[in-house]
Amino acid sequence: MSVIELANVSRWYGNVVAVNDITMSIGPGVTGLLGPNGAGKSTILHMIAGFLGTSKGALTVNGGPSWENPEIYRTLGLVPERDSVYAFLTGEQFVRSTARLHKLADPDAATRRAIEMTDMADAKDRRISTYSKGMRQRIKVAAALVHDPEILLLDEPFNGMDPRQRLHMMDLLAKLGAEGRVILFSSHILEEVERLSGRIQVMVAGRLAASGDFRAIRRLMTSRPHVFNVRSSDDRRLAAVLVGRPYTNAVEFTGRGSLQVRTSDFGAFCAQIAPLSRDNGIALRELLPTDESLESVFGYLIANQGS
Amino acid sequence: MSAYFNPVIASITVRATLGRRRAFLFAIPAAVLIALTLAVRATHPAGTSWAAQVLGDFGFSVLLPLLALIVGTGVLGAEIDDGSAIHLLATPVRRGSIVLTKFVVAAALTMAFAAVPELIAGLLAPGSGKLAVALFVGALVGSVIYTAAFVMTSVLTTRAIAVGLLYVLVWEGLLSNTVGGARILSIAHYSLGVANAIYPDQDLRAGLSLTTSVILGAVVTVGALILATRRLSAFAIKGEPA
Amino acid sequence: MPADTTTTRTGVIHDLGYRRYDGPRLGRAQITRALAWHSFRSAFGFGRGPKAKIVPAIAFIALCLPAVINAFSMSQGNPRLVGYDTYQPALRDLVMTIFVAVQAPELVSRDLRSRVLPLYFARPIKTGDYPAAKYVAFTAACAVMIEVPVLLLYLGTIVNVHGGAAVWTQTKELFPGLLVGLMWSVVLAAISLFLASLTGRRGFATGAVAIFFLATYTLAEILLQVENRAVRQQAAQAIQNSGPGPVHFVPPPPALAEKVSGLFSPFTLFDGVRMWIGGSGTAVGDNVMNPGGFGAVYALVLIVLLAASLAGLFTRYRKARLS
Repeated sequence: MSVIELANVSRWYGNVVAVNDITMSIGPGVTGLLGPNGAGKSTILHMIAGFLGTSKGALTVNGGPSWENPEIYRTLGLVPERDSVYAFLTGEQFVRSTARLHKLADPDAATRRAIEMTDMADAKDRRISTYSKGMRQRIKVAAALVHDPEILLLDEPFNGMDPRQRLHMMDLLAKLGAEGRVILFSSHILEEVERLSGRIQVMVAGRLAASGDFRAIRRLMTSRPHVFNVRSSDDRRLAAVLVGRPYTNAVEFTGRGSLQVRTSDFGAFCAQIAPLSRDNGIALRELLPTDESLESVFGYLIANQGS
Repeated sequence: MSAYFNPVIASITVRATLGRRRAFLFAIPAAVLIALTLAVRATHPAGTSWAAQVLGDFGFSVLLPLLALIVGTGVLGAEIDDGSAIHLLATPVRRGSIVLTKFVVAAALTMAFAAVPELIAGLLAPGSGKLAVALFVGALVGSVIYTAAFVMTSVLTTRAIAVGLLYVLVWEGLLSNTVGGARILSIAHYSLGVANAIYPDQDLRAGLSLTTSVILGAVVTVGALILATRRLSAFAIKGEPA
Repeated sequence: MPADTTTTRTGVIHDLGYRRYDGPRLGRAQITRALAWHSFRSAFGFGRGPKAKIVPAIAFIALCLPAVINAFSMSQGNPRLVGYDTYQPALRDLVMTIFVAVQAPELVSRDLRSRVLPLYFARPIKTGDYPAAKYVAFTAACAVMIEVPVLLLYLGTIVNVHGGAAVWTQTKELFPGLLVGLMWSVVLAAISLFLASLTGRRGFATGAVAIFFLATYTLAEILLQVENRAVRQQAAQAIQNSGPGPVHFVPPPPALAEKVSGLFSPFTLFDGVRMWIGGSGTAVGDNVMNPGGFGAVYALVLIVLLAASLAGLFTRYRKARLS
């Protein structure tokens, strides 16, 4: 069981605080590090990967430090964001030399496996200087996977990938996460994180704004009402009934044959909407939570950060 | 710390440094040196002892340190600069091995493109076989010390070439020839000391004895490599946008 | 706000952010001028952090030292130490080499590295305007580095001389010095910018420029000394032969080989041209013997060098390539 532990970790450059008192724990499975540009995601990833020291606090990977500890790279793979690879090598040469630097027993087999995993078998014999951005990303992932690491860190891995490549990479990461590895990737694109992982760490302006399952996070913010879309056999009557209930904040007719209900008590509403409709002879056709998306979570967190 | 030479890193480094017809560029100064020697020999056949001047002033004082500068800062500094060093550093290879391997490659390349042409030119110049050998050995020693110093510089700062240039032009070119004590800190003088010990020649203006040169040269070389390793072990990626 | 994204199928775009600009726009001349001014400033490290100013500052101070020392020494009653047109040759060669080697990449290599050329050329300027602006800016920067110390020398001198006639003499000698400085600036800027524009990596560009100037200089020096040796040996021989009486030795005019030797380095070319057009010759620390009529060849080679560098520079930017 691999684990990354951060305890009150801060990092500053002179007057600029890039990471501010972060405490988090990352375990097996896929975790998304989410936040706008400048939030400190890259800084955190580089600190975990041993390429940046902490100014304050304790950061341990599998119980030991990653800073000034090259042995950590036996179990850790990093896919950096910067687009720089040895452009004069072919894809296969790059991955194979990485395998040999890791002193693997069978570098050729490992190379082959890593290249197949990232779907780069067609282009492996071309020079990296001829690759597109998405292909460069994938060859970097292949090099990071060649030594079968327990921990994989990816900095904005979907940058520059087209939708098909992105899906493929997501599948790969999901599979690796399901095998029990620790996969931590950063992104500022909500759709990516939402699709790939339920567990997120949200960073805003260097601070950890939220962590855990994003739906659970959402629910924690009870000050903001939940919004549901309801379609039923008799919207008017349902609306009248709901208005009488204490957990209903607002009811609105959308004009397309459905009802939009705002409720501050998620649990109560969910528990009672069904018996309520049945008791009043209304058939429920559709019940849709409308703002479970990460977008609204994120937007809400950002809006709150400013206030 | 047990550092060793890593063939994988070596081959990548050689390809990176010599790729894209850069080997051609490195050969130009050597060609100029040899052409210069032949030209002067053609117009001044044996009689005037200009060998020490041509080989010394051009080959030793210009060609050797500047080539060592370009090669020495290129083997590691270029990768750190464009970020591809991180792929090398994200492996369990000992930092000492990385520094040592890159240093060996740099020293070998400098020897090939500066010391060997020095020898060829020296043998072409009339009546100075021993001087040629002396300068060749001095150039070999110089290749080693210079590249160690410049590899270290490229780990310590991103403006390694500018710093190295200031050292070669200002420190070695100007000061150490005028201020006597400064010779102790001049790599050129270590090399000249070795060359002078093999074949004493007034025109070389060497100021240090063989013992001093060897000891100081070894100290500088080993010290530079150790410092470079120490710094590389704590390699931090500079402030990137989060 | 999230609530808005939920139910409306029809969309309305609110024109909140995108505003058109219909006012006057600056034209090609202003853009080029702004680019030149910005480049001029960055040649001295302005517009970047303090570390970028170190080399230009040290270089400038180093070049001003002879002028300051001269002012001091003249106030003690000594005659002027350095000429306006020769200044202190060894110092100027060295410092200007360092200056152009370190700063020329700041002007051109940085843009290549960060691939902003298409951004520049997406403006209403012609592709030739970019290198033109850079060249003018860097020539001006080199001129500042060279001429300001000369002017300081002048000021330090006239403060110490008395009488209008003496001041006028100094002024008359100043102008050729300024012209020589201009020659330096024009040629050094062209060569260094061209070499630096060949690569986006500042380190390599610095190395290329430095190696070019240093190698050519050493080459010329060696050739000159080798050729000089013969003359010097003859002179020594003549002194030996003539015994205790007066020495009958007329040093021969510089041999062709010697004159040709001076063609191999921009710095020696400067000296040759300077002496040819009548400036001070063979002063202390000079490199080249007076070439006499051969100086015309020096001037020709210098012009060819300048033209070739400018042609190379402008060709480099003919297409708005990314790198």
